[in-house]
Amino acid sequence: MLSQLSVFIENKKGNLVRVTQILKENDVDIRAIAVFDTPEFGILRLIVIDPQKGKEVLNEKGYSVRLGEVIGIELTDELGSLNTVLELLSDNDITINYIYSFVLRKEGLPVMVMNVNDMRSAKETLEKNGISLYK
Amino acid sequence: MIWSKEEVLSRSEIEQLQLSRLQDTVKRVYEKVPHYKQKFDEAGVKPEDIKSLRDLSKLPFTVKSDLRDTYPFGLFTCPKEDLVRIHASSGTTGKPTVVGYTKNDLAIWTELTSRVAAMGGATSKDIAQIAFGYGLFTGAFGLHYGLENIGASVIPMSSGNTEKQIMIMKDFGTTVLVSTPSYALYMAEVAKEMGIDPKKDLNVKIGLFGGEGSTEAMRAELNEKWGMFATENYGMSELIGPGVSGECEALKGMHIAEDHFIAEIINPDTGEILPEGEYGELVITTITKEALPIIRYRTKDITKLMYETCECGRTFVRMAKCHGRSDDMLVIRGVNVFPSQIEEIIIKTEGISPHYEIVVDRLGYLDTMSIQIELEDDSILDSYVQLNALEKSLKHKLKTVLGIDATIKLVEQKSLQRFMGKAKRVTDLRKDDNK
Repeated sequence: MLSQLSVFIENKKGNLVRVTQILKENDVDIRAIAVFDTPEFGILRLIVIDPQKGKEVLNEKGYSVRLGEVIGIELTDELGSLNTVLELLSDNDITINYIYSFVLRKEGLPVMVMNVNDMRSAKETLEKNGISLYK
Repeated sequence: MIWSKEEVLSRSEIEQLQLSRLQDTVKRVYEKVPHYKQKFDEAGVKPEDIKSLRDLSKLPFTVKSDLRDTYPFGLFTCPKEDLVRIHASSGTTGKPTVVGYTKNDLAIWTELTSRVAAMGGATSKDIAQIAFGYGLFTGAFGLHYGLENIGASVIPMSSGNTEKQIMIMKDFGTTVLVSTPSYALYMAEVAKEMGIDPKKDLNVKIGLFGGEGSTEAMRAELNEKWGMFATENYGMSELIGPGVSGECEALKGMHIAEDHFIAEIINPDTGEILPEGEYGELVITTITKEALPIIRYRTKDITKLMYETCECGRTFVRMAKCHGRSDDMLVIRGVNVFPSQIEEIIIKTEGISPHYEIVVDRLGYLDTMSIQIELEDDSILDSYVQLNALEKSLKHKLKTVLGIDATIKLVEQKSLQRFMGKAKRVTDLRKDDNK
């Protein structure tokens, strides 16, 4: 499974850049980022190269950070590949909490990041059906 | 430990002592302070009218503005050369209120704070760190002399400089902490950041807290974070400073030093005296002070009195933890709200820090209250659903307890202000009308 950082931030000017600044200064490379247009506060979700270190440096600066697990799926670049994955999950009664994507620069392949209600059974279901997971 | 034999006098002995001391005080202020003479004359009362303790109610109240109007020394009964110490209130608006002490006043003050320290469990074996600001404020000096008097080693640290505070605490082996409760909470937080767990790595066993009111929830938090036994004591510079009352180990209210003060509870709106057990404004008359005796001082603190003898053996009347100052009370959409009620709810809720800020405003004709609270628990952090549930449950609890709707705003950890002295957590942005 893939490690993800969730950072609690208030919706104020400059709050997002403060987080990326801290990560940059500590050489923590960001692979993916997701944040939505919530009114008061937001959860900033990050996939970074060294999540443990990312958590530590943000904690040091007073941020509430959760280091959690998400599922990363390497998709092939063809019509319907996302649909196949979602159908599999749906057929196995797994519901999705949120989903976002990023692209692996070298391989040029899209990676879907998802958080579901039952992580273990999602992982088993996907692996059993030959879907390759990104670690 | 009971420090003085006076603390266990019988009710009739207390009342006898109070009456004769009250009569002396009333006579003295009438003769020596023109401001009192004028007020007593206007009320049609003479010193010889005070024949019993009940007659105290014939005397007019003294309020803070009486001190301001006679700034700086107009209410003093003694010549300036008899003063050995002068303190003053912070005076956030305009002139400060000035208080003075004769040699004998300082001796009494030392006696009073010795009792408070002993009540809270301090002994000659303790090392007491005083983290109140030294200066014009009476908090630090008051407890300083009391703790020295009982034989404890006093570290006059003053407030602020928190990391150094903690280093000294660790290196000197501090066992007693004297501060405001909010500063003690902040110190625990800073200690953690320094990699020091106050509970395990420090030896602070007793907390003597004052300077601001606190709730039972706050006490539980302090005991838990520090691994200490926290007590509260009460006082104000106009009356003498800390030492007016303090909690004993039974934690059933603060014993008022009745050989030096007479306590009454009044309806703050009508001035009428309320029966025992009812909440109202605390009114205190000093009966032994030389330099600045005060007759029926309206403290603005809302509390109640309990006369039955405490399980600790002390007979002095107990005052309950203050609900808050009548000044602090917010009237929101016609509902009386004390910030202490909100604090209690916040501290009892898991996942958030005990630091908060309340902002009251008016939108059109409607009062609004929004409360900023720091999110602390990172386990619920990846889910908007759980964060919203936390907000909702807080909102619901506030609605149940206060009867009004509040907006809850979760903010980042450590983003709200921390306080070294008295915490200021309420901002009222409404215009002065209808407050």
